[in-house]
Amino acid sequence: MSLLSMNALTKRFGGLCAVNEVKFDIEPGEIVAIIGPNGSGKTTLLNLVSGLLPITSGTLLWKGANIGDTSSHERSSFGIVKTFQNPLLFGELTVEEHLRIASHLRFKRELGWRRLAEIVGASRRIRQVHEGIGVHLEEVLRMCRLADKRGTQAESLSYGDEKMLGVAMALMCEPELLLLDEPASGLGQDEVENLDGVLRDLQRSGVTLCIIDHKVGFLGKLADRALAMANGSALAAGRTQDVLRNPLVVEAYLGAGHA
Amino acid sequence: MRALQVLAGLLLLLLPQVVRSDFVLTIFIFTFILGVAAVSFNLIFGFTGQLSMFHAAAFGISAYVTQISMTRFAIPFWGSLGCAVLFVLVVSMIIGTICFRYRLKEFYFAVVTLAFAEMARLVVLNWNSVTNGSLGIALIDKPKLWLPGLGEFTLAGTSTWYYVGLTSLAFTLFVCRRVLNSWVGRCFGAIRLNDELASTLGINVFRYKLLAFAIGNAFAALAGVLYAWYIGYLEPDYLSIPQSLAFISMVLLGGSGSVVGPVVGALVLTALPHIIQLSAEARVMTYGAVLIFTILLLPKGIWGTAAVLLKRLPIAGRAKAAKSSAPSVELR
Repeated sequence: MSLLSMNALTKRFGGLCAVNEVKFDIEPGEIVAIIGPNGSGKTTLLNLVSGLLPITSGTLLWKGANIGDTSSHERSSFGIVKTFQNPLLFGELTVEEHLRIASHLRFKRELGWRRLAEIVGASRRIRQVHEGIGVHLEEVLRMCRLADKRGTQAESLSYGDEKMLGVAMALMCEPELLLLDEPASGLGQDEVENLDGVLRDLQRSGVTLCIIDHKVGFLGKLADRALAMANGSALAAGRTQDVLRNPLVVEAYLGAGHA
Repeated sequence: MRALQVLAGLLLLLLPQVVRSDFVLTIFIFTFILGVAAVSFNLIFGFTGQLSMFHAAAFGISAYVTQISMTRFAIPFWGSLGCAVLFVLVVSMIIGTICFRYRLKEFYFAVVTLAFAEMARLVVLNWNSVTNGSLGIALIDKPKLWLPGLGEFTLAGTSTWYYVGLTSLAFTLFVCRRVLNSWVGRCFGAIRLNDELASTLGINVFRYKLLAFAIGNAFAALAGVLYAWYIGYLEPDYLSIPQSLAFISMVLLGGSGSVVGPVVGALVLTALPHIIQLSAEARVMTYGAVLIFTILLLPKGIWGTAAVLLKRLPIAGRAKAAKSSAPSVELR
């Protein structure tokens, strides 16, 4: 069974059809790229999957169950977590505080209603959960190369580190499917290589990745499969190299003369 | 800071034994009762980032509900107080559900809660047969309280009300602090700073906004009942917009960044008009001037600024260094 199945997924904004009957499956453990020129509906598609936008029609199955009507926080709790193209952060908080907040789902998952005990006074079980979260937090900091910036306020971070903090927060949610919206845009070569390493580490740890980006060289090496989109519709899908060589995709990106 | 708070608590506990002046103690009683409302307002406003204009309505509705359940249904004072808090909780849930389901934020949320508050005030003002309209209701019967060791006694006299107010404020501060130091406080802070991000991190934004609104209003309900029975008079002005603005002023003046800050704001705004003998018009102008001065020069409020200054002292620096290994998330 596929991890995520999109079936005739459609999103309309009034008369504009931003995503038009897209059908695509994501298998567990793979890295999937979604490519396409600006305005082709990639981010809208990711927003439909993460629950930030309601679906107009079509079905969205998560491990076989229909999740089309659920809200974004529910999808996060299923294991579908999204990062943003322009990182959304809690400006005045430090990197570590961001990750503490992002550990909400784990805290909830491990304790259920027993977390109410934290209001009355911390119990031993709650302390153990916080310790467990602390260990995970250290791992995530190390994996995202942010350990030396744990005490830095988010608003003082470089753009590359802000993006990495977005990924780190998503990782604190222990995602099964991580949706990355242009993680490499605006990054220098060193930072892209750093990101590449982080994403490969993630795949090794069992996280399925779905990435939107314009850096075709970066995605070509990283992604197992790709979905190409143009004007809201799926143009081609298959092995990344095949999709990138597809004349329709080249035409959509570069114009008819290059196909 | 903690030591300072404990010291302040002890001083307040012993104050009626030292100070016999009714004038001074009355200022403190008003500070405590209005402090309960201001601290609870700050839970919604300062910590969760929702500018509710319904606070005075919750404050006034509960006093009316208590009075009605005592006179119409012969429920004793404390039972009626429970009914009133419950009633305000239900009303808050309904209003909160409407506002937060439709994702109303900032000014939109403020305007809609203001509309609900005005609706409540107009009902109270015009439902003469039950509320006695603009004439208000004199609350003659003083409530009784039974305490182990002291037996049953009537809530009358300055020092009795002083301890009732102080206990209520201490209880409110304790509950708010416990809530804010738990995961609930982390969720409130995340929602205040960026609710879209909070939602993608798995935080149920609707539920936590509703929770903050309900808890805040429940404490406003407690404050409203105590205020009415201390004064001994109930009128529709309790639910008025200036009353809500007074709570906002207390929070901004004291500092919205801490649990205790609004109490300092309540103290200054209660004491100021009494200490400086002014006419009603001049009093409102003084309020305004103090508020403008604070917002421009002390954006963190009196308590927030004092905390910053205290941290600069060398002794506080050492204490902070010793504590820095603790894995805490200070969201405010």
